[in-house]
Amino acid sequence: MKKPIVSMRGIVKKFPGVVANDHIDLDVYEGEVLALLGENGAGKTTLMNILYGLYRADKGEIYVKGKKVHFKSPKDAIAHGIGMVHQQFMLVDELTVVENIILGLKEYGIVLNLKEAVKKIKKLAKEIGFKIDPWQKIWQLSAGEKQRVEILKALFRNIKVLILDEPTSVLTPQETRELFKTIRKLVVNNIAVIFISHKLHEVMEIADRIVVLRKGKVVGRLKREEANPQILAKLMVGREVFLEITRKPKKPGPVVLEVKGLKALSDKGILALKGISFRVRTGEIVGIAGVAGNGQKELAEVLYGLRKPLEGRIYLFGRDITDKNICERIKMGISLIPENRLGLGIVGDFSVAENLILERIDENLFSTNLPLLSKLNIKKINGETLLKYSKKLIDEFNIATPSPYAKARTLSGGNVQRLILARELGRKPRFVIAEEPTAGLDVSATEYVRKLLLEMREQGYSILLISGDLSEVLSLSDKVMVMYEGEIVGAFKPEEVTVDDVGLMMTGVKRMPEEAIKRIWD
Amino acid sequence: MGLEIKFIERKVHPVMYVIVPLAAFSLAFLCGGILMSWAGVNPIAGYGAFISGIIGSHVKFADTLVRTTSFLLIAVGLAFALRARVFNIGAEGQYIMGAIVGTWVALTLQDHLPPALTITISLIMAIIVGGLWAGFAGYLKATLGINEIVLTVIMNWLAFKLLQWLLRGPLKNPLSEMWPMSPPVKAKIPVILPGTRLHLGFILAILIAIGGYFLMFKTNYGFKLRVVGVNPNAAKYAGYDVKKIIISSMVLSGGLAGLAGAIEILAVYHFLYEGISIGLGYTSIIVALVGKLHPLAIIPSALMFGALYNGVVYLQSALGVSYTLSKAMEGMIYLFVLISEVFLKYRIAIVRR
Repeated sequence: MKKPIVSMRGIVKKFPGVVANDHIDLDVYEGEVLALLGENGAGKTTLMNILYGLYRADKGEIYVKGKKVHFKSPKDAIAHGIGMVHQQFMLVDELTVVENIILGLKEYGIVLNLKEAVKKIKKLAKEIGFKIDPWQKIWQLSAGEKQRVEILKALFRNIKVLILDEPTSVLTPQETRELFKTIRKLVVNNIAVIFISHKLHEVMEIADRIVVLRKGKVVGRLKREEANPQILAKLMVGREVFLEITRKPKKPGPVVLEVKGLKALSDKGILALKGISFRVRTGEIVGIAGVAGNGQKELAEVLYGLRKPLEGRIYLFGRDITDKNICERIKMGISLIPENRLGLGIVGDFSVAENLILERIDENLFSTNLPLLSKLNIKKINGETLLKYSKKLIDEFNIATPSPYAKARTLSGGNVQRLILARELGRKPRFVIAEEPTAGLDVSATEYVRKLLLEMREQGYSILLISGDLSEVLSLSDKVMVMYEGEIVGAFKPEEVTVDDVGLMMTGVKRMPEEAIKRIWD
Repeated sequence: MGLEIKFIERKVHPVMYVIVPLAAFSLAFLCGGILMSWAGVNPIAGYGAFISGIIGSHVKFADTLVRTTSFLLIAVGLAFALRARVFNIGAEGQYIMGAIVGTWVALTLQDHLPPALTITISLIMAIIVGGLWAGFAGYLKATLGINEIVLTVIMNWLAFKLLQWLLRGPLKNPLSEMWPMSPPVKAKIPVILPGTRLHLGFILAILIAIGGYFLMFKTNYGFKLRVVGVNPNAAKYAGYDVKKIIISSMVLSGGLAGLAGAIEILAVYHFLYEGISIGLGYTSIIVALVGKLHPLAIIPSALMFGALYNGVVYLQSALGVSYTLSKAMEGMIYLFVLISEVFLKYRIAIVRR
């Protein structure tokens, strides 16, 4: 039998309140793809951060080629041939590819010998079939290209084990396929790849062996031949889950939101929206597909009022709301379920109850008038109605919280999203922008959110669904538009196209004719 | 082997909020004692004087409460600005502006109106001008994004220079010859404890602290202000008028500092001179922070600092301890209290990486 290149034995890691890793054993062999599968919070990333020297295990040992090792920092891990590509890229945007790759390497000294490094990078890139210009600045690269830089950075350090943390979460279908090709080439070169994911079909496609984690424990070790998506899903969540969604056909109603020729700048001052027009009707979900960073975020912000458009008009129920502020838009029934939940969606230091009425604090229901001061819009908070209302929402949306007074930041990711949904839907909005509503959620929370969105559609809400998860967009939406570099390059009903076509549109390879795009909104 | 100092946040029993500052005081006194004996002063006599300066007699204790009054007013105001995460370093200038306006209005009205009315109008004007003075800085921060720390510090100088100029020009007492001081203010805020200087302003300050608590924690305004402070993005997202909240927090803060300045003139000094600017506005930042930016907790905090202030002053005058030494002791106590905050909140561990 082959000897493992890396062995982890009895790894325990505790964080306040949770055991992230509970006596985990893991072997990694040369030239294999090992998939670490599990829901968010199952402990996959923690385990790998321990292997990479970012965290120290509370208990347990790590062996590399049979020798016991202690990693004090990623430097030690790299010295032992272990590299990691994180979900969030650790690159300096303002520097070039080559500068990023040699960053922190002592042998390149104070006077950088970049040319030699470039030679080595080009050779490495050729070996695994990458096309990359080492002199390009990082900010000019797409997410897929940045990932390649990260992989090259690891290979440049002669690593033998490469950890990829949710590598496909930022990629288009085509880029994902490219990545898989790369992984296969790495494996041929005897590099072991640890592939962290919660996407079943990817794991089924690429892995040789699969280790399933749940709540910090290993709940399954399978060879790919032994696995199928149903088995894996069951292991992951501990019960059967529905992987398919059924959407009842429905006749859309009158137009709720109309957008005409919207243009807007991004934070960097680049034109992020280049003239966007579309309509959303009552009782329909319009999905936006696209690789993150193609103007979706800016579109959501402009519609909600967080960003001012350069040009174009926005109409809600026929009324021009382009110049209205957020407060007025909220009153007219616009709602945003933000992607940045902790930074935008909740106030972590405030209680769950307080977070549930964040936008409604001025309403007479929650604040009673005071003599004189009411003229200044200073009113007394009505604690009792607040508590009653929040209890109702906590029940209705099943928010798992010890009490309405618990601080919102103590909630888990899925419950933070429930809190936001409860608050937003609790005020009965008429048009909801759902920005990455399931990103980072575990399977059961994802399932809940998707069901809720469909339920809302049944009840006649209008929803704009922005999601990087293509299958989510295609399965939930009545109409889908694809955004690429600030433009709508395709709009269709999900049943009219193939996933491959959508992928080509998302990467700007394919584009539907103008008339075909317009037709869909009538 | 890499060593690393880590600050680990910990749960704190409420009692610790009283014990830890007291411990800090004790330590500061210990060091202060060493300092005193080094300077040739008997520490026991020194601390005797210090304590007698605070509670030595009902007159002295009343003086402590008088000092508490200004700390309390300014710090409660600062609590609003700091809670909204607007770093108002300009309380000193706002206090000076309040003192100037309070004096000026009182001098103008005192021969025409009854004292009660003169005092009321002059206090209200001091609040308005202090509020506008600070609100201007808040406005520039909210609309143009100008750093409020730099701005308020500059405005402190402006206020002080304005004070100097007025005392040598329009507000100069013609009888004072070379001394830059204003004519006497005849309208006086009534004393509530006969034979002492304890005045009605103290009661007013306590009421304002209670009102401040209500405004901060029981009203929609306070709610929004606190949201702006802890998560301005969420505040924007929730549709709050963040600019308005930033500006109004500064107006509140400056208004109360202005009120403190006018009260100081109308109740304690009865004329305006440069000596009113003794850094109360700066010290009040510490008072507010030690009081956890909570208007009710600021009451004991202001009392503590009022006592400290008067104790040091008495130490200086009774034993002839030099000004620098007494100031050093005062500074040391602030330092210890602030450091103790860190130890209270965090467990500090040296870990091997």
